Amino acid sequence: MKLRNTLIAYGFLLPALVLMGIYTFFPIVFGTYLGFTEYNVITPPRFVGLENFRTLLGESYFWSGLWNSIRYILVVPVIQLVSIAVAMLVNRQLPGIGGFRTAYYIPVVSSFAVVGLMWGWMYDQFGPVNFVLKTLGLVKNPTNLLLNPALALYAVMFVTLWKGIGYYMVLYLAGLQSIDRSYEEAALIDGANRWQVFWNVTLPLLRPIILICSLLSTISAIKVFEEIFVMTGGGPAGSTYTALYFIYSKAFQDFKYGEAAAAGLVVAVVSLFFSILNFKYTRGGQIS
Amino acid sequence: MNAKAIRRARKSVQTIGVYALLIVIAVITIYPFFWTVITSFSGSGGIFKFPPPLWPTSPTLENYVYVVQNVPLVRYIVNSVIICFFGVAGSILVATLGGYPLAKMEFPGRDFIFGAILATLILPNEAGLIVNYITTIKLGLLKSGPGQYAAIILPSLASTIGIFLMRQAYLAIPKELLEAARVDGASEWRIWWQIMIPLTAPTVAAFAILQFVAFWNSFLWPIIVLTDKSYYPLASGLLDLQGQFATNTRAVASGTVIAMLPILVVFLFGQRYFMRGLEGAVKQ
Repeated sequence: MKLRNTLIAYGFLLPALVLMGIYTFFPIVFGTYLGFTEYNVITPPRFVGLENFRTLLGESYFWSGLWNSIRYILVVPVIQLVSIAVAMLVNRQLPGIGGFRTAYYIPVVSSFAVVGLMWGWMYDQFGPVNFVLKTLGLVKNPTNLLLNPALALYAVMFVTLWKGIGYYMVLYLAGLQSIDRSYEEAALIDGANRWQVFWNVTLPLLRPIILICSLLSTISAIKVFEEIFVMTGGGPAGSTYTALYFIYSKAFQDFKYGEAAAAGLVVAVVSLFFSILNFKYTRGGQIS
Repeated sequence: MNAKAIRRARKSVQTIGVYALLIVIAVITIYPFFWTVITSFSGSGGIFKFPPPLWPTSPTLENYVYVVQNVPLVRYIVNSVIICFFGVAGSILVATLGGYPLAKMEFPGRDFIFGAILATLILPNEAGLIVNYITTIKLGLLKSGPGQYAAIILPSLASTIGIFLMRQAYLAIPKELLEAARVDGASEWRIWWQIMIPLTAPTVAAFAILQFVAFWNSFLWPIIVLTDKSYYPLASGLLDLQGQFATNTRAVASGTVIAMLPILVVFLFGQRYFMRGLEGAVKQ
């Protein structure tokens, strides 16, 4: 009876386990192994020890790419702060508030193919962004922002921010709405001002969600690729070249799968390091 | 003026401030779409100019006619529909099946499996793309038409979020209902199909929208894995279009509008479910 039950349970799980086994768990194991081999898909992988990592040490493009990926983490605190602010802004009963929430969410459901093309136009030399900057007196001679090596990475970061705010807003909104109002009211009665209530009551209660959100956005910042693939292709002058771009071009343009996998391992370690840092800074998402 | 009037005045000033802020943010999030729509209907003249136009110059449909005639747009749309249909149906099946024993049955290895599935959300897997590409080639999926669709769909079919959402939904169903059915001799399959699925329909709907958006929008994996562009979904085809007609922004803009439209329709009609699904993912 017990065995039968177990078999039925695994029967239900079978499709999920098979698919995840092939497309999620196997890549972790085989990808790690590949990092220590030379592989070209046609002949079987040949074990080469640390050779790929030694090659990586000399690849300046890999290191500048990794550095750009790490710089991309700058997006994380900005996106979280703005999302919390927007969530608090839309967390009130006002006529039409649902419409605003929807408007803020539309970038989230758009493909990066669409978003990348649109922002490519926005950043054009005579596009809307430069019109605003010029009107505000911030630039005199507009240039295409994506063609400026000093600014391109920040321009792409802004698009990540623009597309991500709605997503985190919804998560924070759910968090804010699950906070018991009586905590905040008690603090107000005790004479705290609104800012103190936010800083000492609301924010600590949001900590579990802040952990999830900053973890997710850190992981995707290090993996940033799609927006760069569509908008700049790593240029100009390698200024938006990221770690994942290196992995992508090593594998699918140079067909050096072993070296690409080795680079993937290095990025994975960096990613883990920043995830742990995240845990530390949000105190593991504990409320008190 | 008495204190009450002052308070009311302050309150309405605050409300005006809130609306002003809400509108500014909405303009920033919506404007790029607005610009794209205007450009797609513009007939002539410069597109990039100061100040940016607020209405199409000499409105026309010819950009739409042009892309449909010069790009296999219809073919891309058909591909996207096929990918979305099988992708959404398949991932619903995998998640609704997989979530059930994790929530409502006891068996050895349950907690380990659930933990392993959740860990995939955080575990870095930067080489995943490479290995999945190799797997797709070794499985010989690129040798036939249906195989190419399968190559695009299969890696995204088992969704961690989906299994998690379904498990949460099943957990909320009272134990008594289940035990009564088991005492009556109903098989687990019947319980799943006749009790669990109907009772979790809102979650299934939320997950369906989530997956529809994901499949419709994905463009990178098809570009990497497919050698035959005629199997591209619309989002991948759109980038190909940009490569071919980089100078014809109006034509690319109309392709962009076409790619965006189905998502907007599905999202606006299903957003209540969609938001709930998203929130369900964070509330434990």
